[in-house]
Amino acid sequence: MPETSRRHLLLGGAAVSAGALLTACTSNEPKDAKDAAPAGSAAPAADDKPGTPVTIGFAGPQADHGWLNAINDNAERRAKTYSDVTLEITEGSNDTATQIGQVQTLINKKVDVLVILPADGKALTQIGLQAMKAGIPVINLDRIFASPQAYRCWIGGDNYGMGLNAGNFIGEQLKDKPNATVVELAGMDSLELTKQRTQGFDDALKNYPNIRKVARQAADFTVESGQAKMAQLLQAQSKFDALWNHDDDQGVGALRAVAQAGRKDFLMVGGAGAKSAMDAIKADTGVLKATVLYPPTMAASAIDLARALGQKKGVGGMSELEIPASITLYSAVVTKENVDEYLPTGFS
Amino acid sequence: MTLTTPAKAPPQESRWRTLGLRADVRNLSLLGVLAVLIVVGGLTRPAEFLATSNLQLVLTQASVIGVVTVGMTFVITSGGIDLSVGAIVALASVWATTLATQEFGFAGILFTAVAVGLGCGLVNGVLVAYGGMVPFIATLAMLASARGLALQITDGKTQIVTVPSVLDLGLPDAYVLGIPPLVLVFAAVTVAGWLLLNRTTFGRRTIAVGGNPEAARLAGIDVRRQRLFLYLLSGLCCGIAAFLLVVLAGSGQNTNGNLYELDAIAAAIIGGTLLSGGRGTIVGSVLGVLVFTTITNIFALNNLQSDVQQIAKGAIIVAAVLLQRRTVRDGT
Amino acid sequence: MSGITKSFPGVRALDGVDLEVAPGEVHCLLGQNGAGKSTLIKVLAGAHQPDEGRITWNGAPVRLRSPSAAVRLGIATIYQELDLVEGLSVAENVHLGHEPTTGGFVRTREARQTTAALLKRLGHPEIDPARRVGELSAAQRQIVSMARALSHDVRLIVMDEPSAALDPDEVANLFRIVADLTADGVAVVYISHRLEEIRRIGDRVTVLKDGRAVARGLPAATTPPREVVALMTGRDVPYVFPERPTRPPTGEPVLRVRGLARKGEFEALDLELRPGEIVGLAGLVGSGRSEILETVYGARKPTAGRVIVDGRRLRPGSVPAAVAAGLGLAPEERKAQGLLLLESVTRNVSVSSLARFSRAGWIDRTAERETARTATRTLSLRPDLPDAPVRTLSGGNQQKAVLARWLLRGCRVLLLDEPTRGVDVGARAELYAVIRGLADDGLAVLLVSSEVPEVLGLADRVLVLREGRVVHQAPARDLDEHRVLDLVMEGSPAV
Repeated sequence: MPETSRRHLLLGGAAVSAGALLTACTSNEPKDAKDAAPAGSAAPAADDKPGTPVTIGFAGPQADHGWLNAINDNAERRAKTYSDVTLEITEGSNDTATQIGQVQTLINKKVDVLVILPADGKALTQIGLQAMKAGIPVINLDRIFASPQAYRCWIGGDNYGMGLNAGNFIGEQLKDKPNATVVELAGMDSLELTKQRTQGFDDALKNYPNIRKVARQAADFTVESGQAKMAQLLQAQSKFDALWNHDDDQGVGALRAVAQAGRKDFLMVGGAGAKSAMDAIKADTGVLKATVLYPPTMAASAIDLARALGQKKGVGGMSELEIPASITLYSAVVTKENVDEYLPTGFS
Repeated sequence: MTLTTPAKAPPQESRWRTLGLRADVRNLSLLGVLAVLIVVGGLTRPAEFLATSNLQLVLTQASVIGVVTVGMTFVITSGGIDLSVGAIVALASVWATTLATQEFGFAGILFTAVAVGLGCGLVNGVLVAYGGMVPFIATLAMLASARGLALQITDGKTQIVTVPSVLDLGLPDAYVLGIPPLVLVFAAVTVAGWLLLNRTTFGRRTIAVGGNPEAARLAGIDVRRQRLFLYLLSGLCCGIAAFLLVVLAGSGQNTNGNLYELDAIAAAIIGGTLLSGGRGTIVGSVLGVLVFTTITNIFALNNLQSDVQQIAKGAIIVAAVLLQRRTVRDGT
Repeated sequence: MSGITKSFPGVRALDGVDLEVAPGEVHCLLGQNGAGKSTLIKVLAGAHQPDEGRITWNGAPVRLRSPSAAVRLGIATIYQELDLVEGLSVAENVHLGHEPTTGGFVRTREARQTTAALLKRLGHPEIDPARRVGELSAAQRQIVSMARALSHDVRLIVMDEPSAALDPDEVANLFRIVADLTADGVAVVYISHRLEEIRRIGDRVTVLKDGRAVARGLPAATTPPREVVALMTGRDVPYVFPERPTRPPTGEPVLRVRGLARKGEFEALDLELRPGEIVGLAGLVGSGRSEILETVYGARKPTAGRVIVDGRRLRPGSVPAAVAAGLGLAPEERKAQGLLLLESVTRNVSVSSLARFSRAGWIDRTAERETARTATRTLSLRPDLPDAPVRTLSGGNQQKAVLARWLLRGCRVLLLDEPTRGVDVGARAELYAVIRGLADDGLAVLLVSSEVPEVLGLADRVLVLREGRVVHQAPARDLDEHRVLDLVMEGSPAV
């Protein structure tokens, strides 16, 4: 018996110290604090002079993905730059019912303007309509509601444009190469935006008869799936000239697969605009040569629009007295040449 | 009361031996499925499918889920279920790739991944064995909280690994005699799992607890302690798998290990492990994993899209289980 | 029924069996396990389709395509494995499949009233129709099962070992119900292992052996039991108990129980067991018999008292401690509590002694198989196939596998709970001899059985229990069945 209890004691002690050590390991604070300088800090687009105080309600999905996290960051940071803006931000949720409840709470709090990035645009249309009827204008961020009556202004990225710009960039690089081949690592196939990105890419390639898309596989925006699917693509195509990857997060895995397969014989274009991707483009040591933006800075712009709406102003640089009903952002191509301009907006 | 009496000549001793190897008959049918897949792959994309690099690829891609499935096989054999494996892999992989952990280098990452896996397994085990919770519920709770904690640690960000020794382990230079280190780990876990289940008292107790917990208890087996160890074992496998995944993907992300629980359960079941417990086969589970990985591989090589892949996966599960039943019946 | 033949892959379970049942008759069906009784009643219940043969109902040929077809004709079956849904109430179980409804809604109150009436008719008005079946005792479930059968307009009722889970007074009640039914002209097919029951209530007897009817329509009351046993087994087996040793056991008690109690189950029990001695516990279901065994064994935690083996006190409520000290239990529900049904004989025998053939957790499988085989051969377990799945064994041989487990473990005190339940009459005598043989080799045996003759015949000393208390203690040869039954029911103070 005493032997067992000593063994237990030893085991217990080991467990406790392991636990203490582990707890210390959850920290993600970089040692070098300078790295943590705020990203996405382009100057506010709207009039910066303090005006009528505006309370903005913000509801988004759960930030379980780098891009979504950047959306929240951008919104919060931009709101802080205005002394006249109060931001009411809800806990993100991917559950439609929960999100409806959260928006309803914001309506009841009588916020002045709502910014909603719905987990599912179609499913949350009703709550947009409800807010509008209650006299609270809605800025619909990115994932669009089913009815234009559900929002005052929609601002979002251009998935088709992303594919188009990626295709055109690759086309220009390969235009002198006869019988060039490209492969596509798509995002989650169950999402409409993936179809749009693929469609844009295919349409762009039609401009270049010498280029043929030989393979496409869908990953699901995660590093793990990016590695797995890219490894398969590399095995399936022993030689190709260019790769279009829909998402920089899964691109981390895709680049890993490229390294594991020891391949360097093609150029790669990413999507979304992650910091890691921009760093790689800047370093220019690997296959990644460009990334097509789907800028999370749209959340900052949405705050600007919401503030303008609350203060009954238009958008600076435009003649109209009101903000527009719809704004589609341009999917710029970030290359080595212009990467320094975009680096601050890169997300991790 | 039994319906039948073997009234005629007493059955041959060898016949019972054959029946005792029933699990191996199941494995045979799964080997058949794998053979068919290899023929299909070899016919459709001979150059790519039959290349050494493809064998390396398939085995590498199978190694992470394979290690998880070995642990899962033990839990299912004991009549339990572990729904939290994917979440534990996610938590262990992000905990092991925080900036703070990465400072400790290779050893820190490996230790953290394994320790987090064991820790989660310990909680599962205590809840099931001593808390009297149904495994389905206890591990479902672990699934939710481990995923939540993983999200909290990462804040939704991708944690890129910068420790060269970890990254290099996934590159071709680290291959031993052409075998990727990940595959070696997978093989070692498989062999260890097979020995543990089939040759040790631990394995025998696992089967007894799964076959009839009450009888096992009354036969003097400490059923609760056995259950605790089983969930601990599953957690350990998840920790190892998480480390492999970190090496493979060069990063940690809270979305890691998505739906591993279902893949691992499916592989174990088509391998011939009884979902109700009492019978388990490590070889079958590994074959199950290889069947799934090979399907993915063949479909990707033939540029078929994920919708078709999913349909085929479902069909294969049904086909494999039906085939098994046939083989087992014919073998009787 | 005539010429019923039914084959399963590899086995001809029924081979041209004829059975004729008259209205108002209790027709007993006898046979060893595997003789075809269950198959025959499943054919009768519409659960199996015969390969050959005809079934004639009230003079007209019928085909019973499904259980519900049989029920529509008025044939109800009460199976041995009770087929009740534990999560539903008594009334819901009774009316399962034919609930009184209005527009799809169950008329709960009516269902409860009719159920209450049925239960009253069965002599059990105390069962609340609204209670969940899961909360009822085995005997009460039997009654509910019977109420379900009677909820149909029944003309023929098949009872498969209805008395197996019942106490003597419950059995008496059962007989009264059977008598009521037959008085109403209902025919009863009654299956039982207990020959004396058949003599008491049966009219005619059909004996099955190896799928054939070896005797039909024997007069139940007058045919000598020995002849029936001979027909069932095909040989002339004496239904006898082994000789007791001439000298009483002397050594130091190996097991001492001091003031052991479990609140609500049994009270301060004192007990001593010497090597070579068989002590029997007699009592009704609910008298605490099985609970005592399981508490001594550590499977239940006592609320008071001590269990001492070889002078050392056992950790209460720990089976591993009891097993380490040399205790072994052959539990009441052999399949549910005793055996690993998917596993081989060897593995069932070795499961408690794994440390014996293993080093550092590593099992030497050859040694395991051989030592297990030595144990099973000592008990002449048949067939002598170490790799055969234990589920293919007969009840008696399954019990031997459990005994072999403890023999292999080197156990000193054997706790036997209903060791012959589900065991054929022919095989019982052999099992008794095995148990006595183990005692002669120095084991101490504590025996629980609901069959009083078994306790009296096998044990050296008997403790009579009533409501969790020992009311009498005496050498077995000083007691007879009537005296014991008086004691357990009336509980006249003694000693």
